Amino acid sequence: MELWRYIGNRLLQTVVTLLAVVTLMWGMFRLIPGDPTTIFLGSGELPPDALAALRHSWGLDAPLYQQYLDYLRNLLTGNLGVSFYYRRPVLDVLLPMLWNTILLMGVAMVLATVIGVVVGAYLGWKRGQRIETIGSLLVLIPRSLPIFWIGIMLLMIFAYGLAWFPIGGLRTPAFIPETPLQQLPGYDLAQHMFLPVLTSVIYFLSDPLMIMRTSMLEVIEEDFIMFARARGLHERTVRKMARRNAIGPVLTYLAIMVSFAFGGQVLVEVLFSWPGMGSLMVNSVAQRDYPVAQAAFFLMAVITILLNLLIDVLYVFIDPRVHYG
Amino acid sequence: MSERTGLPPLDPADVPSESRRNILRMMGALGLGSVVAPGVLAGLDASTHAARAAVQPGAPVEPLQFWIPNWPDMIEIARQLGESWKKLGISVQVKQGTLDTWTAEIIGQHQMPHLAAMSWGGAPDRIDPDYFLTEFYNSSRLAKGGMNYGDYDDTKFDAIDNKQREEMDDKKRQQLVFEAQAMAAAANPSLVLFSRNYIQAYNNKRFDGIVPVTGSGIAMPYIPWTYYKMTAKTSRKLVKTTSIYDIHTLNPFATPEVYNSSLLRWIYPTFVIRNEQWDLTPWAAESFKVIDPTTVDVVIRDGMKFHDGKPVTVEDAKFTFDFIDKWKFPSFARVTGTVGSTEILPPRTLRFHLKQPNAPFLANVLGFTFIAPKHIWENVASASNLKTPADYPNDDAVGSGPFKLGEWKRGEYLFLKTNAEWWMAPKIDGVYWLVVPNLENQMGMMERGDADLLGWYIDRKQGDMLAKSPDLTVVSTPSHGLHEIRMHMTMAPLDDPNLRLALQQATDRQMLLDLVFGGAGVVAYNSPIMPINKFWSNPNIPNPAFSIDAARKTLEKAGYGWNANGDLLHPKG
Repeated sequence: MELWRYIGNRLLQTVVTLLAVVTLMWGMFRLIPGDPTTIFLGSGELPPDALAALRHSWGLDAPLYQQYLDYLRNLLTGNLGVSFYYRRPVLDVLLPMLWNTILLMGVAMVLATVIGVVVGAYLGWKRGQRIETIGSLLVLIPRSLPIFWIGIMLLMIFAYGLAWFPIGGLRTPAFIPETPLQQLPGYDLAQHMFLPVLTSVIYFLSDPLMIMRTSMLEVIEEDFIMFARARGLHERTVRKMARRNAIGPVLTYLAIMVSFAFGGQVLVEVLFSWPGMGSLMVNSVAQRDYPVAQAAFFLMAVITILLNLLIDVLYVFIDPRVHYG
Repeated sequence: MSERTGLPPLDPADVPSESRRNILRMMGALGLGSVVAPGVLAGLDASTHAARAAVQPGAPVEPLQFWIPNWPDMIEIARQLGESWKKLGISVQVKQGTLDTWTAEIIGQHQMPHLAAMSWGGAPDRIDPDYFLTEFYNSSRLAKGGMNYGDYDDTKFDAIDNKQREEMDDKKRQQLVFEAQAMAAAANPSLVLFSRNYIQAYNNKRFDGIVPVTGSGIAMPYIPWTYYKMTAKTSRKLVKTTSIYDIHTLNPFATPEVYNSSLLRWIYPTFVIRNEQWDLTPWAAESFKVIDPTTVDVVIRDGMKFHDGKPVTVEDAKFTFDFIDKWKFPSFARVTGTVGSTEILPPRTLRFHLKQPNAPFLANVLGFTFIAPKHIWENVASASNLKTPADYPNDDAVGSGPFKLGEWKRGEYLFLKTNAEWWMAPKIDGVYWLVVPNLENQMGMMERGDADLLGWYIDRKQGDMLAKSPDLTVVSTPSHGLHEIRMHMTMAPLDDPNLRLALQQATDRQMLLDLVFGGAGVVAYNSPIMPINKFWSNPNIPNPAFSIDAARKTLEKAGYGWNANGDLLHPKG
């Protein structure tokens, strides 16, 4: 009962937050010099009055408050608009890129989280021993390297050097499988995914790892761990109990990590020619393609906010001490 | 394009800057910290205004503000020029930005500081001299959105420029074009530097018959003779070309952007095309003839079929022009501006009645428009409830050209299949245009054999690296594009022609070309028409030879002086 009221309140807050985000974002795009006709300037293909005609047909010369209200009205009815650049509905443009990003980043985030939690728990458990000190230091190295450098190094060694993997792209055009291994379904895609996933995992590993380790360090100081040992429980069981209690902060961090994964990986995407949300966001801003840029950023905001809410609710089921209301 | 003559000054749509202020008012109302933003904007505006402040006699010349796109070549050019001009006592402040911001501010808003640098590509439309002369220097382009952002305004130039555009006789037109160039050169509106070569590579073990075309290299889609003529040396007849761009639409009426429209012309062939020597040759047309200055006859080639099997007729050709006239597509402004009406002369001739004589018509209209299938396009707008057929996705893209649409995976590749029915069918089976935004990856794919043609352009060092591979042949092709630095002729101190001349004399073009592009290019004349464009380029207006002494003498004669620090001072009286 209390939980439902909590969720209701949070959803209301979400709506207000999203409205503020949407307004701010809409305003910011209009502040950037230029507009969707900017990409056609400088090619000289459109004389100034044709540009004006185009701008008019796109409603860009309407008074600003009118454009803003139209945008809000469309958004509320689920109409994300039509891309100025591609001349087709925004969803047609957005969704394929979204799937490409989910595919790449989904796999990478799951791997990074699982490996991070397992290793982080291990390091936290082994507090004070040499393996923990060395391990913690080692883990910080990839985090301090620029992600594109990690990617370039992997490309250099495995793609250019050993030629085990392709240099980029989502798939091989006109792919003709030759060996039996190549004939396995998904082989081509997996081959193309390997290096970008590896790059992302190496880079994103350290965050869940260090959070888990820190959380673990706090948990093993708690009384119930000492009590469990005193009761004679097997060390493995005690560790399991500690892990389950320590995982909370990692879950909270997941919401942030997902939002980074979604829109922030343009560097990996450009390096590996992976057409995803990051490139879409950057390109749509450069092209002043307002509908696509706004939809992409809006999507990122919605996912982040809703994920946060979901995880906060999940907490109730993970940790019985947590209740709202 | 740009066939209009003597247009009145266009009414600028001042929307963006006004909208900026409106947004700030709104943000203030929402209580979202509107204090900072207006301050920032006011600061930006102020710095532009400061440059327009009154000139004080005898005072040091203000630093020249230089807006460049943030490319390595531009950054180096700006740095080198800063050092050269320091010897004249002039200091330079460089502002860098992304291409879209540069375009939005300089071309979109004409927020031009003293100097703005740009490199213009060798697109096929720009072979005709009308493009650069009119876009850069005609007063009709002084309005925002036009490319005369340096404020070159001379009615005498306009008169000659407008006259050359209407002269249908090439020899007479050449004289006018030479005159226009000489007139502009005397005013020194721009520091025209050089044209850089397009360096590209191909896999010589797999393919043969590569054709370099000036301005298009060996692999770009603009004048694609390589693709029409190349032959496979192995059993694989599919070609893989790398590109940094993807197309954004399959609708040939929607796109004004040169890369996209060029690729779509593989599917929708133009009436005429430029051959490897740049001569106009019939393509979808069988022949063409200028009957009188406002009448052109085009005979449609016999036996052509659309990719869905239906025959291509002169009715489809007439339909296309009526269609363009009906919907007034912005990207076909050049057509609606020149073509008054069309008339069918059976069996296969389309007669064009032009609104006024228009010399670029053959190259830039007949070489740009195509024959659209009437049976597909006539109902597109009403059938799909669209405001304009330019919004039609056209996912099935039925044309009649040497290539058909194979597959378009957005962001990944565009696959164009050979059309064996075309009268000059390509000898390959098709071309994959792979989207690889990172140029180094393109090079890697060439070295590994994942791609057969490098469809963008690399620099000299990168070319030398690829040349080490025995499978690859590197080809350097000249271009009619240019690197130029426009001077703001109505902004002090550049409103003084002597100062502009001095800057010309203090610019070492060969050094810049050697330093930035390894010498792979051609130094320009004092004209946006490059020397490589032999017929139209006026060879009698070379840029002044590089000499700091000559530049200083020019300034001295004009009354400038120097203070103890070596700073240049404005003339006293």
